[in-house]
Amino acid sequence: MYDRTGHRRRFSGPLVLLLVWGGAACASDRFARDPATLVAAIAGDPGQLNPAITTNGGVHTAAGLLYDGLLALDDSLRPSPALAVRWDVEDGGARYRFHLRRGVQWHDGAPFSSADVVFTFEQMLLRYHARTRASMASSLVSVSAVDDSTVLFTFRRPYAPLLQQLDVSEAPILPAHLYAGRDPLRNPVNVAPVGTGPFRFVSYTPHSEIRYAVNDRYFRGPSALKAVVLRIIPDEDTQVAALEAGEVDWLFTVPGPARRRLARDSRVRLVRSALSAGGSNCITTLGFNLERPWFRDLRVRKAIAHAVNRPQFVERVLFGEGRAADAPISSGIAFAHASDIAVPAYDTVEAARLLEAAGWRRTGAGPRIARGVAGVVDGTPFTIGFKAMPSQIAYGDLLRAQLHGVGIDLRPEPLEQAVFAASVFTARDFDTAIGAYCNGTDPEIGVRRMYVTSSIAPVPFSNMAGYRSAEMDSLFDRAGASIALPERRRLYHDIQALAVRDQPYVWLVETSNLRAYSTRCHGFSVSSHFAATAACTK
Amino acid sequence: MTARFVAGRLLQVVPTVLAIVIIGFLLTRLAPGDPVLALAGEHGDAAYYAFMRERFGLDQSLPRQLAIYLRQVASGDLGFSYVYGRDTMHVILERVPATILLTGTALLSSLLVAIPLGAIAAARPHGARDVGISTLALGLYSTPAFWVGQLAILGLSLKLGIFPVQGMTSAGGDSTGVLRAWDVARHLALPALVLASQEIAVLVRVTRSSLLDELPRDHIRTARAKGLGEARTLVRHALPRAMLPIVTIVGARIGHLIAGASIVEIIFGWPGMGRLLLASLQSRDTPILLGIFLVVSLTVVLVNLLSDLAYAALDPRIRVR
Repeated sequence: MYDRTGHRRRFSGPLVLLLVWGGAACASDRFARDPATLVAAIAGDPGQLNPAITTNGGVHTAAGLLYDGLLALDDSLRPSPALAVRWDVEDGGARYRFHLRRGVQWHDGAPFSSADVVFTFEQMLLRYHARTRASMASSLVSVSAVDDSTVLFTFRRPYAPLLQQLDVSEAPILPAHLYAGRDPLRNPVNVAPVGTGPFRFVSYTPHSEIRYAVNDRYFRGPSALKAVVLRIIPDEDTQVAALEAGEVDWLFTVPGPARRRLARDSRVRLVRSALSAGGSNCITTLGFNLERPWFRDLRVRKAIAHAVNRPQFVERVLFGEGRAADAPISSGIAFAHASDIAVPAYDTVEAARLLEAAGWRRTGAGPRIARGVAGVVDGTPFTIGFKAMPSQIAYGDLLRAQLHGVGIDLRPEPLEQAVFAASVFTARDFDTAIGAYCNGTDPEIGVRRMYVTSSIAPVPFSNMAGYRSAEMDSLFDRAGASIALPERRRLYHDIQALAVRDQPYVWLVETSNLRAYSTRCHGFSVSSHFAATAACTK
Repeated sequence: MTARFVAGRLLQVVPTVLAIVIIGFLLTRLAPGDPVLALAGEHGDAAYYAFMRERFGLDQSLPRQLAIYLRQVASGDLGFSYVYGRDTMHVILERVPATILLTGTALLSSLLVAIPLGAIAAARPHGARDVGISTLALGLYSTPAFWVGQLAILGLSLKLGIFPVQGMTSAGGDSTGVLRAWDVARHLALPALVLASQEIAVLVRVTRSSLLDELPRDHIRTARAKGLGEARTLVRHALPRAMLPIVTIVGARIGHLIAGASIVEIIFGWPGMGRLLLASLQSRDTPILLGIFLVVSLTVVLVNLLSDLAYAALDPRIRVR
């Protein structure tokens, strides 16, 4: 166990053996917690609590309450002041000047200044935070401190998504005075962290719990809660049981089969969020490997898109929690989502017609047979593989049933995450695969990587299809370099029209995340600072 | 003689452990899945992956990585965890006490329950008690721990409120001393019971059949002829000799028990080594995986040595050489 000094405390155990079978039912009241303590369940042990050196969702969920970003994102994902109180966009979006809040203190009492922002970006975010590094490093010229309370970001060309990338989950600011001159990956401060956030670190017991106490000097005012305990419970069903038993007050996710039960429970409330540990505004997407000869024919891709019944995925796989995707960009990015674009509608007759036209003939009840399909030997049955991570294999089962109806034999193959990434994105050894593409708060963050030629790389959840289009590349370059919203809206509309025309993917469903909390608490937010405004009573 | 035997057996441990380390290293490296992809997730670029590979020494050739690793292990250093950013030994050792507590309690309670039950069953073979106990053992043996665990949570925790649902201590609790031990005991009871259930099933069956082998023997007949009561004959004369197969089985099932603990630890949120193993497997945190292989294999080797020594203590005719 780690306390605030980063030192281990000894496990006190041998007495326990004698007491185990001694009537465990008694005396449970002795262990009742303070009503002003919130207990939240998290699924994985974060290992360490420095979110600036990793994109691991577990670390960001566990450490979010400790830190602040320059900006915050409200529930509609619009930027608002946090460590920066205001900002100026200069030179057509190639320079951003942030004016920092004065008088902010780190949890250890040291003053916060522009030097912390520069240090965090230069030594941590731009080196170790994969998302910030990949999206920003090539465009950024410098991050510099103009004075103690002003920071200037200078880019090579206008850079539109910056304001969406500065909240605590994307760019938390860490204390330079505790990290300077030391290896950030091995710094003991990572397990006894110091931030500016609404809660300060108390202790971390690996694989058990993390404790935070309220930061009385927080610049927005102290939280009504005295403490937050993040309890590490890996099994989702056990998390639900712990909520029902009153052992925890907040769940970040609710497993599908438990949703209906919790919705009926008067002691529990449910709240929806577009945010998840893996990102926000996620669309579960079927990707075609365009290097396979049968998927080079647009008619085949269109036929599969027509054969897919999206509402069934919402109903049977998501247990009603989500919506059928109606455009390539998530409806959560309101300015970019093109709801007027017609993605192929469910129409098995049209699907069959397209497959026949493409040379896939139906001869009986089995799969279709190739007759004159370019690159495919005549008589080859239309059998295709489908790779998925275990958490998404249910999509494969339903898709198999739907495609069977139009004479395509789909073979789902579950692969654990590390193997899935290596098989699909590194070896490109797949016919079709499914992934949850989180679009983020701006298309530049989570959409661009699916379509541009430069993203065909051995990187998980990059351009899975291997889609190449000079027109698409150019549209994305123009959209990323423009800060005028009407122009960006028009460009993303064109991007989506082109994506639907070329159909490298089938956009199945937009997933949403359900949080659950005990009715003894209220006032939660769905941001990384979920507990900052919460209060709990007995 | 015993000291020489122990020293000899401990020397045999060296090549065993070396083989385990090399095979474990090759298995984790040759299995599909890249630790850097698992670590960096979906948002890196090629330069970032190359940077991280170099940072963790994964850009070196496989034989060179193996040589570096063996040199580290020989000097008592198990390397640096990719995920936890700390020394592997440190990360594993802080999980060991919880696993020892869980598996130790489960093993002890299974012995305390299974041996009497097995003896009762053997006392009157095919009688009502024997049929009842054997059926119970068969039922427990064929029921997977994850299902028993979920049922136990639903019944004993949620419905009856007897035990806490998860964890090793109450969330946010600050108890110390005896109160803390009591708190841990409340949390330990249910996972230990679930883990013990499979062991009880095995040990009941072994105890019963081992006793049934002993009961027709001459020394038992002599004991009965002397006028000893049935219970005393069973406990004093049959059971000590019947313990030999039980000791063998206990030694052989240590690996099983640790594997079962992984599942139980996940279901009950128990902060032990099994959970660390699964998490490290998913994230391809090779140093931790290899460290756990090493700790578990050493434990199994040492427990088997202890069970060999226990043979001699239980049966004077057996001498260790």
